Amino acid sequence: MVRGRQFLAARVHETALAQRGATILPEINFAKSPWVKAVAHIPPAETLTRPYPIQHTERHDRGRALQRPRNLFRPTSIVHPEDQLRQDFFRDHPWELARPKLVLELDGKDARYRDWSKGLRQPGMALSGESVVQRQLWLMEVKGLSKQRAYDIARKEFYKLRQQEEIERRIAAEEARMYGAYFGKTNMQVGMELEDAMYDKWKKWATNEIARLESQRTAAYSNVVDATEEKLDEEEELDL
Amino acid sequence: MIIRNFGVRHGRRVLAAPLSRSCLRTLSSSSTRPATTPTTFAEPATAAPTTTQAYAAAQAAARQAELARIPANFAEYSHQREHTRNVGSRVESRYHPDQMLLDPPHDASLEMLMAAQVHMGHHVSQWNPANQRYIYGERAGIHIISLETTATHLRRAARVVEEVAYYGGLILFVGNRKEHMPVVVRAAELAQGYHLFQKWTPGAITNRDVILANGELQIVNELDQPIDGFGKHLRDRRPVMPDLVVCLNPLENYPLLHECGVATIPTIGIIDTDADPTWVTYQIPGNDDSLRSVTLIAGILGRAGQRGQQRRLADANEGIVTWSTPNDVAKFIERDAAEKARNVAKSAEGPVDEPTLTREDFLTDEELLAELSDGPRPPQGP
Repeated sequence: MVRGRQFLAARVHETALAQRGATILPEINFAKSPWVKAVAHIPPAETLTRPYPIQHTERHDRGRALQRPRNLFRPTSIVHPEDQLRQDFFRDHPWELARPKLVLELDGKDARYRDWSKGLRQPGMALSGESVVQRQLWLMEVKGLSKQRAYDIARKEFYKLRQQEEIERRIAAEEARMYGAYFGKTNMQVGMELEDAMYDKWKKWATNEIARLESQRTAAYSNVVDATEEKLDEEEELDL
Repeated sequence: MIIRNFGVRHGRRVLAAPLSRSCLRTLSSSSTRPATTPTTFAEPATAAPTTTQAYAAAQAAARQAELARIPANFAEYSHQREHTRNVGSRVESRYHPDQMLLDPPHDASLEMLMAAQVHMGHHVSQWNPANQRYIYGERAGIHIISLETTATHLRRAARVVEEVAYYGGLILFVGNRKEHMPVVVRAAELAQGYHLFQKWTPGAITNRDVILANGELQIVNELDQPIDGFGKHLRDRRPVMPDLVVCLNPLENYPLLHECGVATIPTIGIIDTDADPTWVTYQIPGNDDSLRSVTLIAGILGRAGQRGQQRRLADANEGIVTWSTPNDVAKFIERDAAEKARNVAKSAEGPVDEPTLTREDFLTDEELLAELSDGPRPPQGP
């Protein structure tokens, strides 16, 4: 690492031009390199300057901060009108966050295909909390409804559609079962089976352990061996 | 159980019990299945043809009947197709993960940049204040890079790549994170440049005589066709240096960028919010941690290189050579030509018998002293 600022990279073209007339070691003269002609009219951009940043939000100026402005060049936080609506919706419906969500966009033009005057269902977008937020915002901004009123309308539309989706899904599964589909075990069943297997294993281990401990305890009382006999036995073994 | 007494013991009970239906059915001789009806065959009413002529006539008639059915069938098929053409769904465009890699765009719109996550910077605490001018604001704890700035810088960098390719420079694409391999390879393929997806060997520019001593080189003409006759030069010359280095992750490549600065090579780099913009000549503010962002930026630069190479070759076909021969190659060509001319002249003169020098040809000591004591001679002409 080099301390301070280095401007070698920013000044490559000037360096190359300064070497143009150099007579020492003309073999390593960079002025004839192909890039010198190429970047002659493309100067590098300005760096390290600090323009006054866009003020998305006002700073909280209190007390001493009023006398001496601080953090003038620090980027400010971006705030959108949907932020509060989104927070409210997901506070009221936390399990909506557990649903899978598509975060991929191809050309970035998805927002152009949405028309929130037509309801929550939008082409190419699954029903989600985001639809409620956007619909509520549209109702507030275009219809001039209050935040609470718009929230109620959008929320109830959402409930109806979610219920419809649920019914459709159930009926589809029923139909499929009737035609012989087999969906296998659910995640819950698989989990329960694994848990049961583990319990059984533990039970087997615990039974063995209890038996072992029990036999140890009884052996401590009943299996009192005469020390002299043992010694004799050992001596016989040694003789053999 | 004693087997031989089994029949005596249980036989009575077995005989007393009523026989089950199934046993009776197997024993009964009459079949319960319906009698098979004789198979009828669709035989022609006429008797079987006795001669081959009649058989051929029947064949021809059958063929005619078959042919006669074709228009009707085709009409029905067309009708069906016409009426079911709009039935069902049609997939308009399908997501392909390698779309930006295989077919990168020539220019990026702001939406495209945003969809590729180019605007996402690092956490606010990792900010390098040197790149404050590229930052739009702060959101969800990270800095958001201004995409207008990114787009302008990206266009400028693309123009640099294009011009360097046009003037016949060597372009090196460097991206040595694990997933950068296909990205740099594709960009180099498009721009007809070079790629590095492994560690940069420190000193591969400043100490290239040692590190790249065994590298293969080739001399080409303006149409990129290799030329022979430079074997001696290629053996003796120094290894080449790139004319432009595109670095996708400058933070991990400080030695490379420093060497480029020392060796006066312009560099292009993706500058995230934690990187230092002074390390590279041409900055592209953007997210260097997202593979999609890196793929898009490298793809656009590769496309620019491709345009430059195409322009260069088109000009070369019209006889315009955009680059000049490097100093060392030019010097070798000059020397080589002179040597060849000398050889030609020598062979034209024929073998000359140079007389061997004898003692009388050299000056004696006295003569030499006399020459030296004459004093300095007037300087000779150039």
